[in-house]
This record gives sequence, C-alpha cells and structure tokens, in this order.
Amino acid sequence: MALTLAQLTIDGLLLGGIYALSALGFNMIFGVMRVVNLSHGQFVVLAALLAAWAYSTYHVSPLVTLPVAVAIAFVLGALVHRFLLRRLPADTSSQEAVSLTLTFGLSYFLAGAGLAIFGGTFRAVPYLTGAFSVGPFSIGQARLLAFVAAAVLTALLAVFLRVTPIGRAIRATSQHLEGAMTCGIDVDAVRTFSFALGSAIAAAAGCLLSLVYTLNPEEGGIFTLNAFAVVAIGGLGSYAGALVGAAILGLATSYTAYFTNAQLSEAAPYVIFVLVLLVLPAGLLGRRTA
Amino acid sequence: MNRIALVAAVAVVAVLAAAGPFLSGYALAVVYQTLVYLALAYGWNIISGYAGYFSFGQITFFGIGAYVTALSVTNAHLDWRLGALLGGLVSMALALPIGAIMLRLRGPFFSLGMLGLAQTVRVLISSSEAMGGGTGIYLPVSVNPLVVYEWTLGVAAFAFAVTVAIDRSAFGLRLRALREDQQVAGTLGVDVTGAKIRAFLISALIPGLLGGGYAMYLTLVEPVSAFSTRLELQSIVMTVFGGIGTVWGPLVGGIVMSQISEALWARFPQAYLMIFGGLLVLFLIVLPRGVVPAIADRLKKRGGPRSFTPQAAPAARETVA
Amino acid sequence: MSALLEVRNVSLAFGGVKALRDVSLDVNEGEILSIIGPNGAGKTTLFNVISGVYRPSSGSVRFEGRELVGMPLHRIAALGIARTYQVVRPFPRLSVVDNVAVAALIKERSLDAARRAAREVVDSVGLGRLAEADAGTLTLTQRKRLEVARALALRPKLILLDEVMAGLTPTEMDEMAQFVLGLRERGIGAVAGIEHVMRLVLRISDRIVVLDAGTKIAEGAPAEVISDPRVVEAYLGAPLAGV
Repeated sequence: MALTLAQLTIDGLLLGGIYALSALGFNMIFGVMRVVNLSHGQFVVLAALLAAWAYSTYHVSPLVTLPVAVAIAFVLGALVHRFLLRRLPADTSSQEAVSLTLTFGLSYFLAGAGLAIFGGTFRAVPYLTGAFSVGPFSIGQARLLAFVAAAVLTALLAVFLRVTPIGRAIRATSQHLEGAMTCGIDVDAVRTFSFALGSAIAAAAGCLLSLVYTLNPEEGGIFTLNAFAVVAIGGLGSYAGALVGAAILGLATSYTAYFTNAQLSEAAPYVIFVLVLLVLPAGLLGRRTA
Repeated sequence: MNRIALVAAVAVVAVLAAAGPFLSGYALAVVYQTLVYLALAYGWNIISGYAGYFSFGQITFFGIGAYVTALSVTNAHLDWRLGALLGGLVSMALALPIGAIMLRLRGPFFSLGMLGLAQTVRVLISSSEAMGGGTGIYLPVSVNPLVVYEWTLGVAAFAFAVTVAIDRSAFGLRLRALREDQQVAGTLGVDVTGAKIRAFLISALIPGLLGGGYAMYLTLVEPVSAFSTRLELQSIVMTVFGGIGTVWGPLVGGIVMSQISEALWARFPQAYLMIFGGLLVLFLIVLPRGVVPAIADRLKKRGGPRSFTPQAAPAARETVA
Repeated sequence: MSALLEVRNVSLAFGGVKALRDVSLDVNEGEILSIIGPNGAGKTTLFNVISGVYRPSSGSVRFEGRELVGMPLHRIAALGIARTYQVVRPFPRLSVVDNVAVAALIKERSLDAARRAAREVVDSVGLGRLAEADAGTLTLTQRKRLEVARALALRPKLILLDEVMAGLTPTEMDEMAQFVLGLRERGIGAVAGIEHVMRLVLRISDRIVVLDAGTKIAEGAPAEVISDPRVVEAYLGAPLAGV
C-alpha cells in the first residue's frame, strides 16, 4: 500500500511538472493582460497533435518538433493579440466578459481548425514506451523525459524573466501597470510579446504532453481548465504558486485516477480549486491586496 | 415604442402557441430548438448579464431538471410535467447552497468554478448506478412532441416576462449596481449577497424547468446531452451577440445565431466549429457590446435629450449644494 | 446624551503593518469633524472601518448606540451612514440618475419613486443636464459631485467624506466647503478626511482629529489643534497656519 502510494506520488509529481509549464504560459498572459485565455488548451492540444503527426509520419521525436511548434504558436499568438485582443474596448467593466467570450470563440475556431487538419481521431506518440526501475518503483521513460524537459524550460523561463530587459518589462507590467507605463515601458508591445510567449509555452507543454496522453482536437478545454486550476490554486500572478498548484493538481489526478476512476479524476481539479479559493481567495501564494 | 414591442412579444407567443399543431415535424423541431436556446439565454442573462457573474455552468441546472424528471417519471410514475416542475424547484433549492458558495468567488474564478461544477455533477452522475451511469435512463413514455413544444414555449415566455419585470424593477437596478461595483453598492444600501443569490436562483429555475422537456423530447437522459457544453456555450454566445444584460439581447441573438448555427451545421458539418468560432470572434471585434445596445446607441444619437456627451456639455457651474 | 458616532479603541493591522492603533473619537449630530493627517496616516482605513468595509481587529464602533462592527455594509447604510470614496467610483454603465437612485431605494419602495427622488438630488448638485448620461462619461469634477449626490440620496444622519478636497480646483474647494457647512444646517453630521488644505479645515471644522501613522495624536477645537507641538511635528515642522 505504502509502495503504491509512493509510486502514485512519483507519477503525480512528474505529471505536475508538465502542468506547471503549461500553467506558466497561462499565468503570464493573465498577469500582463488580465485576460483569462480560454484558448490556451487549444494551443496545447494542437501542438501535441502536431508532434504526434510528425512522429507517425516521419518518426521525428516530439523534442525535435517542439521548437517548430513553439515558433508557430509564437507567431500565431502575436497575430491573435495584434489583430484581435488589442481591439477590444479598454473600459475595464465590460472587458472581462468580452475577452472571455473572444478567447472562447477562438478556442472553437482552433478546435475546428484542428479537426480540419488532423481529423477527429485520437493520436498518441508511441515513443520511449519502456520504463526505468528504481528500486521497487517504475518510472516511465517518456514521462520522465517530458518532466525533465518541462523543468528545464521552466528554469530557462525563470532566468529569462529575471535577466533580460523584456523579461523584466513583463514582470513589471504584471506587478504594476501604471508603474510600468511611467517607467517608459511600451506596454502594448509587452502585451503582444507576452501573449505570443504564453502561447509558445502552451505549445511546448503540448509537445511534451503528447508523450503522456492520447489526444484529439476537441480535448483542449481540459487543458485550459487544468492551467486555470493550477494558477488559481497557487495564486494568480504568482510563479512559485503555479509550481505548488501544479504539484497538487498532478498528485490529485494521479491519486483519484487510482482510487476512484478516470472520470472522477477529471473532476478533481475543480473541486480542489473551488475549495482552496473559498478558504484563501487569493490562492495559496497569491498576493493579497489590502 | 417599448410598449409596442411588448405587445408584439405577447402576440408572437400567442401565434407560436396556436401554430404548433400546424407545423411540420421538421419546423416544429427547429422552433423547439430555438426556444430551448432562447429560454436558456434568458435564464443565463439574469445572473450573468444583470448581476455580472459570468457563469459557464448554468447548464448544471438544466441537467438536474432533466434527471429529476426522468427519475420521477420512471420511479414515481408522475406526469412528466409535474416532474419537470419538480425539476425546476429542485434546481432552485440546490442553487441556494451552491450560490452561497460559488458567488463568493469573483470574476473568472466564478466563471470557471461554475464550469467545474457542471463537470463535477456530470461526472458524479455518470458514475452513479442509480442514475443510469454513462448510458443514462431511457424514458419508456411516448410523449407528443407538440406537448413538449408547448411546455418549452411556456418556459421561454416565463423567462422573458421575468426579465422584463426585473429590468423595470428596483431589484434590477440593484443587480446592475452590484455588477458595476459590489462594495459601493453595499455602502449605498444594496444587500449585495441577498440580491445576487436571488438572481442566481432565478437563473437556476429556468434551465431546471427546461431540462425535463428536453429529456422527454429525446426520450433519454444521459450525462453528455443533459450537461451539454454546446447548449451552454451557444446560449452564452447568443446573449453576448444580442447584448448582455438587456431585455431584447437574448431574443435577437437567439434567433439570429440559432439560424446561422443551424445553417452551418446542415451545410458544413466539418467546418462548423471553425466557422462558428471565427464568426463569434469577428463579431466581438466589430460590436463588442452586442447588437441591441449598438442599435439603442444609434437611436439615442439621432436626437433627443440623451444625445448629451460630456465633451459637448458646458461644465455645470452651479454650486455643489 | 451619548454622541451620534462613537469610535472606541479601534485597531487594525494588515499583515504586520498597523494601519490603526487604538483610535477613539466621537461625532455629534450636526457636527463637522475633520480628520487630518499626511497621506497614509490611516484616514481612509478609518472610514472603511466605520462604513463596514473593514472589520477592525479590536475595538468598537457604535452609531446611535448600536454596534456596527460585523454588520453588513447595507445595514450600516440603512442606519444612516453614507460615505464617499477618495478615488471616485461611479457605476460607469448606469446613468447618473440611476447611480443616485440606487441609494434613494433605501427610503423609496418603487423604482419610479427612487428615480424621482434621485432626480431632485441630481439637480441640487448641478448635474441636472447630465442626468441621463452614463456615469462613465463624466469628468472628474462631475464624478465628485455624483459621489456627493449618492451619499445625500441615502438621507443619512452622518456622512463620511474621504479626501473631499483632493483633485479640486480652488474654486471647487470653496464650493465643497460651502456644501459641507450646509450639512450642519440640515443636522447631518460629517466626518471629513482632508490632507493638506488647512485654510478650509479651519473654516469648516467644529473639531479636528489628527492622525499620524495610524495613531490619534491630537484632538480638539481647530485653534488648539494647530498650535499643538506634536501636530506641527507630524507636518514636518511646517507652520500649519501657512499651509
């Protein structure tokens, strides 16, 4: 029993690592733009399907597809912001509802595009199907690879946000909009870049998830909700919180899938995030506004 | 103007009720489908349009209504209309504790929390033997679709009437105030918690009443169609298209969008999602507040005392007191 | 005879920061009490405690003998306490008259009656021509008037005016002072938070309370307070009468 629990914990944490990467992109877009991007999961799923298609057609590793998918998503994200989101009304009271509806419409569009390109069949990447044995535990090779890659990308992003001027501009804009504007930051450009980068991160997470999940174009909503739950549990805007939230969500998915059934495990993220928010409205590590 | 429109609305309901028996099976199905969307849109519009709590999960109550009806018909052998009524009441009763919890969440947290609620209830029902699990409950009762149509027309008319009443009442003003700023509304004497819970109850009652009819129409209740994300999302899109938080928005949006949606579905089933999603996006860019407010603005600008803009206004110079 | 409003030993901390320490004060019917102090002294926090937005960590707030701590916002409003916000917060997508009607509903039963009552108040603050405009389209000065109109429409016994003079031109400040003095004639008590404009503080106040870093450092008639050395200290040694 203890062994099973430990095995489930390992699996859950590995999964959490990939969720964390996806949630990071979602969190960045929310932090900079205050937009809940309901099309986030569609970027994840389309990238995963691209990776699966590349693997089945050309036997290309998803790690090779990753930079291509990232580049495509970056350009797509930049276009979406430039030509769609930027045109929304600036008055904040209606902006929230309109941006929710817009990204929701976009998610339909992308799901439809995915169906047109990849068809409706579920795809997976039968790559690195073996497992390492560490003592009594078995660790799926694909899962481990995806986790390590996600961890490396997350670390690179953290460095990017701290060291580069554009990274600092992104952090400044999410922490204090007026402050960033008075410091001469071109907020509009930062927003476009953030939306592009956030979408690119989603695509990266998608390529890695293709190693773990079997997906079709209509599964995007699940990943949007996962990213949202991770970020809500950890605290909107908090990057450390997103890591904690992702770990919790990975564990919850892993435990509930084992002890109950796959369907109930789908509902676990919501139950947890609603419970967390009721107790701590700003999330576990969110900034509390006085 | 407004009164004429209301008289017209009553006339339309009367015509639809009278026309039912003369409609072909296909026409009846189309009008029925539109009425379901309209009623859902009106129900959603109270909590999300007037009170500003953008819900992605009101379909939960539609599903609850459907299941309550199915269980009362199969187990208790009730007349289905009683079951459907019961479904509405049960939905409203459950909305009280649910609303007390969920309405403490704000903005996107509430929106996605409600989506989570819908998914959770769906999953719970799918894994419950007593509720028929994933395959659902077959209803061995044959009901004339015309009766379901009339029931649904009644619910849609009720939803419209409730909206008109709220729009013209003190309650409606309080909802619109708390939508803008809850704290200020509270310091101006609005019982914010009470008002938003009441709005939530109404927005649960209406889908709750509809669900039973839908179950009888399909002669089957199963988790995916009872908690249909497509129904939920289309009713939202319709309201946003027409104008959120207005009396006429859901009507205009519902009629226009259900026709577009129907035509797309019939002609381009492959590209349906893409075209529907793309249209929605384009539409929001052109008219972010919806058709009805845009027309109202146009009418206002054409004349009358409401054409006042602050730039054009000479600053009021009277003393403050 | 007890005071209209009695604030007793109110303290409030955010995280580790003590925003208010053991603050007590009274306001009588028809009295104008000014609360002065530099930015961050705790004036807005005190208004938030009295109007029920914040719950103090200790202490009590009584209005006509009734305890307000823990009471929901709308019940405090119903007892007769109105407030304005330092950063004006109109309901942007409601018309000016509807902004005010929300408050008028506290005394009126029907929406029509509330709108009629609101219309009178709107006219009285000089926004009559803009009554049907969306509040979101008003200028800052007009929004300040709207704040005042909403407070008046509650027909309160006490008005809390948070930074009433902020952002106003000298002429508008004089008008505002005139308005505050008018409240006294109508028997409405007022607590006015004012940052710098000492000339007006002296003109309108019956009494003054000085807050500094969340602590009350002086209280009394205007003339006494401005000669208090601790008050002079809090204002960085600047001779107050000259500010």
